[in-house]
Amino acid sequence: MFQYRTGQMKALLKQWQLQSMVIPGIIWMFIFCYIPMFWLIIAFMDYSIAKPLFDSPFVGLKHFQDFLSDERFWRSIRNTLGMSSIKLILGFPIPILFALLLNEIRSLRFKRTVQTISYLPHFIAWTIFGGIALNWLGEGGVINQLMMAIGVQEREILFNSEPKYFWWITFFTDTLKETGWSAIIYIAAISGIDPGLYEAAELDGANRWQRMWHITIQSIRPTIAILFILAVSGILGSNFEQIFMLKNNMNMRMAESLDLYIYNMGLVSGRHSFSTAVLFARSIVALGLLFLANSTAKKLTGDSIF
Amino acid sequence: MKRNLLKPGLTLVLATSLALGMAACSNSSSESSPTPQPTDSTQPPSEVKLNPEEPAWKLDTSPVDLTWFVGANWYGQTWGDSLASKYVTEKTGVNIKLEVPSGEANEHVTLMMTSGKLPDLISMGSWENAVKKLWEGDHVYALNELADQYDPYFFKVAGEGSLKWYRQENGNTYGVPNDSYSPTLMHETGMTAANQTFLVRKDLYEEMGSPDLSTPEGFLNALQLLKDKYPEYKGQPISPFFAQGNVPYGMTEFLQNLLAVPHEQDGKVYDRVTDPDYIAWLKTFRTAYERGLINVDFLVDSDTQVEEKTNNARYFMMVREWNGMAAVNPMLAASANPDSYYIAVDGPKNSKGDAPKLFPGNMDGWMVTMISKSTKNPERAIRFLTYLASEEGQRDLFLGKEGETWEMVGDKPQLKPEMVDLQENDIEKMEKQYGILDTYWMMRNPVIINQWRPAKAPVLKQMEDFANERADIDSGIYKGLDPQGDSDVAVSWARIAQNWEEVMPELITAKNEAEFDKVFDNFLDRRSSYGFDKVMEHRQTELDARKAKMAE
Repeated sequence: MFQYRTGQMKALLKQWQLQSMVIPGIIWMFIFCYIPMFWLIIAFMDYSIAKPLFDSPFVGLKHFQDFLSDERFWRSIRNTLGMSSIKLILGFPIPILFALLLNEIRSLRFKRTVQTISYLPHFIAWTIFGGIALNWLGEGGVINQLMMAIGVQEREILFNSEPKYFWWITFFTDTLKETGWSAIIYIAAISGIDPGLYEAAELDGANRWQRMWHITIQSIRPTIAILFILAVSGILGSNFEQIFMLKNNMNMRMAESLDLYIYNMGLVSGRHSFSTAVLFARSIVALGLLFLANSTAKKLTGDSIF
Repeated sequence: MKRNLLKPGLTLVLATSLALGMAACSNSSSESSPTPQPTDSTQPPSEVKLNPEEPAWKLDTSPVDLTWFVGANWYGQTWGDSLASKYVTEKTGVNIKLEVPSGEANEHVTLMMTSGKLPDLISMGSWENAVKKLWEGDHVYALNELADQYDPYFFKVAGEGSLKWYRQENGNTYGVPNDSYSPTLMHETGMTAANQTFLVRKDLYEEMGSPDLSTPEGFLNALQLLKDKYPEYKGQPISPFFAQGNVPYGMTEFLQNLLAVPHEQDGKVYDRVTDPDYIAWLKTFRTAYERGLINVDFLVDSDTQVEEKTNNARYFMMVREWNGMAAVNPMLAASANPDSYYIAVDGPKNSKGDAPKLFPGNMDGWMVTMISKSTKNPERAIRFLTYLASEEGQRDLFLGKEGETWEMVGDKPQLKPEMVDLQENDIEKMEKQYGILDTYWMMRNPVIINQWRPAKAPVLKQMEDFANERADIDSGIYKGLDPQGDSDVAVSWARIAQNWEEVMPELITAKNEAEFDKVFDNFLDRRSSYGFDKVMEHRQTELDARKAKMAE
């Protein structure tokens, strides 16, 4: 690509068939991502969905003040950060480890089978998977049976009624469901590594651990960095479907994430302007986090998105 | 060398991240505004002369498709397969496509409103927030205007009472209710449509010696006995307690009705949550939890888990509406343990031992049916509704086709014995194949259909009688006084109500009475900081307005 630097326009024209493939994507993004941004305006209004837009009065930053003074908002921030941190710190390396392990399997058929099985749960909707998880966690569920059989606990615990377990439940169910799927991207990156590198290292006497550490991990480092940057910028997001399925009145204290808060305020209570204001603020913070993570990654590893 | 190797992987990552970014962006697209609605896309009234004495659906029976949204996610009927629905379609030309929400009806309709596309006909719980929004936002037709234009016969059949009940300040009526009961009707017939009951599993209750459950002591003793002797019964683990609709309904309004907590004192709306008897019972539940006599499964179980336990008669007692047991009870009575069905008995009572004051049916009815402005066929829609509201339509949907599912006995239509039999033994087959009785209840008018209703099976009748006897016929007026919509006071109430849902479990699981009191006092403080005074004012105004309307 670099040899074209002087004649980039010429190159672009030469590849117009290929380049034009991106146009539908750009149009799509414009319609669904940029035009809706206009409606952020309702964050500054007392908007009613029953009336046309400009019949609603402007109220300035009222809704922002409202949510900043709502203790439930801060609770939802705490929960979101808690769940995201667990996912980021403990959950982020798991697909990488999984991909590395998978890569070391010699039998191709076994490897394929494991990979397929591992990402199948991804295709089960959370509404179903959540229901299954609730049965596992509930009375007479497999987890209670197991814990009682090995003597860890004496009587059944309704795991889903204890707020203190909730973050861990989200972490474990998410890991169970998504590890295989998240590993795909690393597996793809690993398969792009030149086998010649391994051969050379083997000739030089590197053992399997050394090859894994010095070749595989080093080669997929940029992939890891980029996914990490994206993960950090998504720290204020949460898996809405998952939490929606697993939450109940008893664990709400620890379960209400920012997304669920926005949902409860916007759709359940019908405060559309209010929830748009929260969403708006969240997006700005997420953007800030993206820049932060990006520049940090650039400094530390030299890999970054932009 | 290394750099080149990385490129394929990197491109892949970027492509995926772009895709993820797009997916994330698309979430915000739900925040679009309602598209402007065509106010009236229909042709000027046809040349045909409209006769207020004649139903107008007969003027045009050409085939037409109407979509009908039924705001109940559990509603599983279809249109066009059953005998009754086929018969109605044949007769009127109207073919219905039934739609149900995937989740909560209220949210579903709000979403449809934002997209500006609504089904032709909409039936929704009369208490739902979205109903008011549909009316205020001009998303649905004023039925009186449509009737004036296309089918004046509507006024003859819709019932002046309920039309007046739902008339808005601008003089228009936007919806017709089903199951609407006026107090006069209830006094006359003794049919109150009361649903609330306290149920116990019959064989277990009797084997325990029919213990007293109406006082806190009796209640706790019975639970203790249950724990000691019947943790399992006839091969099933027993869950001691269930309350329908969780905190906001079963443990609040419903329980308060069982305790006969007043709605009003000396003309002032009463704050029922702070009633001493109610609190005493919440403390009883707390004690029961502390002693390990009940679990919190009734607060956390999902609908499927509840259904599974109910179908296997695993609950000992339930605070539950009896019509939710209409399918289960006969099934249990026909099972290997024929006495495992549920019977209504006296449950928790207040300290004076008053009989429960259960909600009867009321003027609001259950669901209201509306015609949306998105419909391309408003004239067919109003004519169809008129037909369904008329005696003929009620009969066609409730009884089916003459000669096939019912016949005249003397001068009264009567369901054929095999249909009655089917209703008792295989209600599912009856609904799927014939679609009669309560299959299509969206426009059900109890005044008309109750005369045709076959006698209920004894296992259901016991519960119904119990509820009828304890119904407080004049308390229908107190149902749903809370502020709805998106006004400030409604927001205050929503915050309070949502907070109560979290506080109640804390009360029940509180370690001791002192902590219970602390949590409750905190709740009261929070409640007033959220603006509870305004809510009480609203309730008072609403109640006064209703009384005025009733007096008219």
